[in-house]
Amino acid sequence: MMSRRTDPRDPTLRLVTELLSAVPHGKRRFSLAVLLASMASGASVALLGLAAWLISRAAEMPPVLFLQSAAVGVRFFGISRGVFRYVERLVGHDVALRMQSALRIRVYDKLAATTLIGRRRGDLLTRVVADVSAIQDLVVRVIIPALAASLVIVGTTAMLARFAPAAALVLLVTAVLAGVVLPLLAQRASRAADLAALPTRGALADGVRELSRTTGDLVAYGAQDRVLVDLLAIDDTLRRQEARAAWVRGIATAAQVVAAGVAVVAALAIGGPAVVSGDLHPRLLAVIVLTPLALHEVFGAFAAAAQTWTRSRAALARIADVLDADPVGTGDVTSSEDPAPGLEFDGVSVGWPGSVVIQQGLDFRVDPGERVALVGPSGVGKTTVAATAMGLIPPLAGTLRRANRVGYLAQDAHIFTTTVAENVRIGNRDATDEQVAAALHGAGLHLSPDRCIGEAGTTLSGGERRRLALARVLADERELLILDEPTEHLDTATARALMHDVWRAGEGRAVLVITHDPELVAQCDRVVRLS
Amino acid sequence: MAGPIDPRLLKRAGATGQYLVASVVVGLLTAVLLIVQAGLLARGISHVFLEHSLPDNWAVLLGGLAAVFAGRALLSWLNETIAHRSAASVKSTLRRDILTARLSRPRDSATSSASMVTMVTSGLDALDGYFSKYLPQLGLAATVPFLVGGAILLTDWQSAIIVAFTLPLIPVFMALIGWTTQTATAKSFTVADRLANHFADLIEGLPTLQAFARARAQRRGVALGEEQYRDATMRVLYVSFLSALALELLASLSVAVVAVTVGFRLVYGDVGLEAALFVLVLAPEAFLPVRQVGVHFHDSADGVAAADAAFRFIDGARATSGTSPVPSDLRIRFEDVTYTYPGTDSPALDGVDLTIEPGEVLAIRGTSGGGKSTALAMLMGFLQPDTGRVSVGGQDLAALDEREWREHLAWVAQEPGMINGTVAHNVLLGHPGASSVDVAAALRDAGADFDGEKFVGDDGEGLSSGERRRVALARALLRIRFGGARLLVLDEPTAGLDSSTEAAAVHAVRASGVGAVIVTHRSAVMAAADRVVELGATA
Repeated sequence: MMSRRTDPRDPTLRLVTELLSAVPHGKRRFSLAVLLASMASGASVALLGLAAWLISRAAEMPPVLFLQSAAVGVRFFGISRGVFRYVERLVGHDVALRMQSALRIRVYDKLAATTLIGRRRGDLLTRVVADVSAIQDLVVRVIIPALAASLVIVGTTAMLARFAPAAALVLLVTAVLAGVVLPLLAQRASRAADLAALPTRGALADGVRELSRTTGDLVAYGAQDRVLVDLLAIDDTLRRQEARAAWVRGIATAAQVVAAGVAVVAALAIGGPAVVSGDLHPRLLAVIVLTPLALHEVFGAFAAAAQTWTRSRAALARIADVLDADPVGTGDVTSSEDPAPGLEFDGVSVGWPGSVVIQQGLDFRVDPGERVALVGPSGVGKTTVAATAMGLIPPLAGTLRRANRVGYLAQDAHIFTTTVAENVRIGNRDATDEQVAAALHGAGLHLSPDRCIGEAGTTLSGGERRRLALARVLADERELLILDEPTEHLDTATARALMHDVWRAGEGRAVLVITHDPELVAQCDRVVRLS
Repeated sequence: MAGPIDPRLLKRAGATGQYLVASVVVGLLTAVLLIVQAGLLARGISHVFLEHSLPDNWAVLLGGLAAVFAGRALLSWLNETIAHRSAASVKSTLRRDILTARLSRPRDSATSSASMVTMVTSGLDALDGYFSKYLPQLGLAATVPFLVGGAILLTDWQSAIIVAFTLPLIPVFMALIGWTTQTATAKSFTVADRLANHFADLIEGLPTLQAFARARAQRRGVALGEEQYRDATMRVLYVSFLSALALELLASLSVAVVAVTVGFRLVYGDVGLEAALFVLVLAPEAFLPVRQVGVHFHDSADGVAAADAAFRFIDGARATSGTSPVPSDLRIRFEDVTYTYPGTDSPALDGVDLTIEPGEVLAIRGTSGGGKSTALAMLMGFLQPDTGRVSVGGQDLAALDEREWREHLAWVAQEPGMINGTVAHNVLLGHPGASSVDVAAALRDAGADFDGEKFVGDDGEGLSSGERRRVALARALLRIRFGGARLLVLDEPTAGLDSSTEAAAVHAVRASGVGAVIVTHRSAVMAAADRVVELGATA
């Protein structure tokens, strides 16, 4: 269904660079954030380094005047670290939020342009929402700190290399080790453990979902203990698998401390004899020994960053797949080029573009004032027929004519978090207050148009949601109504009351009902059976 | 809102307390090593600086320093490992308690299965961060500053005063900032939260927007919402980063002040070089754990929130069942029973009186929302009356051993739950010991035209709702035939299901002398009943 265009570059990095260009002054904002972050980390390294120099110089008991500039420097770095960090966080979050906005709009555009009705989409839409936010984590917690740390490592090493090249080299090696190699290795190793735990986590989630959906049956039949024991066994397995991942992370943290130790001990072991031999000014010994202590502190959070890196890459790769997929169908319902009074299928084959034919040679018509039921076993593609009837996807063969204005009442119609009136206006943007009130009345819904839905617990019952969706359909003139399982999951009385109002609203229009409710089928003029 | 450690975690997840003790011990050992490390560094550097020669024990000094780092590495590994073990143990405890709580409330639909899954899996994972990042730092913050501060005090009391003066300022300032910005933060947070959901709302509503040709047009709404969201979020961040700013400022400024003061006193010979270096190396270590607590504060918030959600769910669990044996007389009476669902205004059952004679087939009809399913749930022991009582053979149902009571009942829900496996697995739930012949017979009698080998996927996938209903009916028949159940409890199926087979099944059940309570609208089913009562029509 989704084809990926070939691009040699890593999809995540490609996405990041594209988004940076999409944000106004994106590259400038981003560079500023990296610069500020490196200045913040640099300040803490410089603070300890310069303080070490100040104390060494002071020990030579020079006139106090000679210490003034160093003292000002130490105080400056002491203040600037916090200030740089504060500004960096704001700039970094701002650019990350802008990138997220750009990505969200892209994803929205892409999904809006591809037909989603009738498509097997699983949890695509919920997942996309969560996946998109990975860009923020990636920018704020991985890319900016990593680039900033690289700058600080290079800067610090370059400074130290001027007095003690050997110690600087050791520092560079241990810094790369502690800042890059170890976090990535640990990530890879713990990822292997995490991957092994993945099926277990899946099994646990499935078990909990099953338990939650069947609680009544399990308890009624006294099976709760057995199920609980099974689930706790899965939990136990998961616990052992997660322990392995934690062990790896523990080793990595320990190795980072060792790397810092190597840098400090090496600096002392190299610097001490160098001072004795006169190759190093004694004043600088404290500088080269204490600087690594401060530098290595910068890497503490990098194990977490490596984890975020893998996680957000996976999320963004999924997003890249969505963005690269070719659009299917028209997305929005379009107007008919050759309008008919109702709906006419003439030898129509139905299926998703580029995929197999689901239904072949469909011949039926729905005239104004007629109710036609479309029935068939589940999985036979009834909603795909609806999508074709609405012109969302072209018929694969045959000719199809339909009325211009189609109303679609879906069992899973989304109710937006806004007022009742705004929800009705989804069906007709220009509806007046009177039209909204009339639509609500027609749908048998006695709610105030100004009531907000979804906030502070003001939720609607299943029947009310279905009626609100009906009001949307009634908010505008429609010649053809397509009802997709209108009574599914409603209790009998609610379903009957709803259908009473639906039939009244559909009087004089062509109505196609997709259903497997025998009671509904019995109320229709004709039945089209799919096999 | 909540403190750094949820007292319920301590009380009910024993691993938490042990872990806190362990992390304080690790913290103390770490502090000792840091002091030794600073001492060795100061000794080495100052000797070389002052004497221009290596000290006699140079190799020992370097080796000691290496050993200190190795010890610190070991401690950090240990900390991580025990943190994980505690988190895992607490998670397992909470998982078990959450699932048990869910099973004690079969009727509770307030928590959807999706949020149950989230709560039990990724929700509890927030405790990982809490245990592995936040609590260890809290342990270090509670120990390291005191030991390190003490070491500085013994070496150079003037520097110790600076540290002792600034260190307590950090929590004070953070609390002050948190307190003064609380209202502003809460307000903008609510706005940001609402706007954050805007995008999710539109994405999830895309199919609906497409049906009304509004998806493309709504792009402007997305762009506008994004702008507002960013503004609102940045307003939250301006304020919420302030406390981190105060923390970093105080910590690094006081290190700077210590360094400069020591430097100038060094010039006048008030303090020695070794002591000065010792203080310089140690001063940042006194602040580090406190700073880290601030850094990982959101892990704390997430963890406490996860634990809070878990405890709220667990504490909603019902008290345990009664213990009395089920009487032999199975006459069931509802006596002036009233029940109101939590969060609703009007009662679902209002003063209901109802008698179900043993062996009788009783049909219950009534308007939608008239409390029919609620009455059945009460009969199953899933719900307890707010007032009035339900009795069995004169005994209060609440006093009976609920498992034993349910063995007398064969229940078919409105939309029956299916477990993963085969149809036979699902039927066998009725009586796990039944043979495949018995299962096939039960399926046949329930009107099923498919066999027990048919696969049933997640949430009954692979079966239509009518087929699921028949499987559940077969399950109930099996329980009546082999499990000794004396009452068939049939809740009304949702719209769209054919219930003529049910009438046949009810006839079959009645023939065997077992009673039935049936909620229904169908005349065929009502005709099969001895008596029809109406619920909810009059209060």
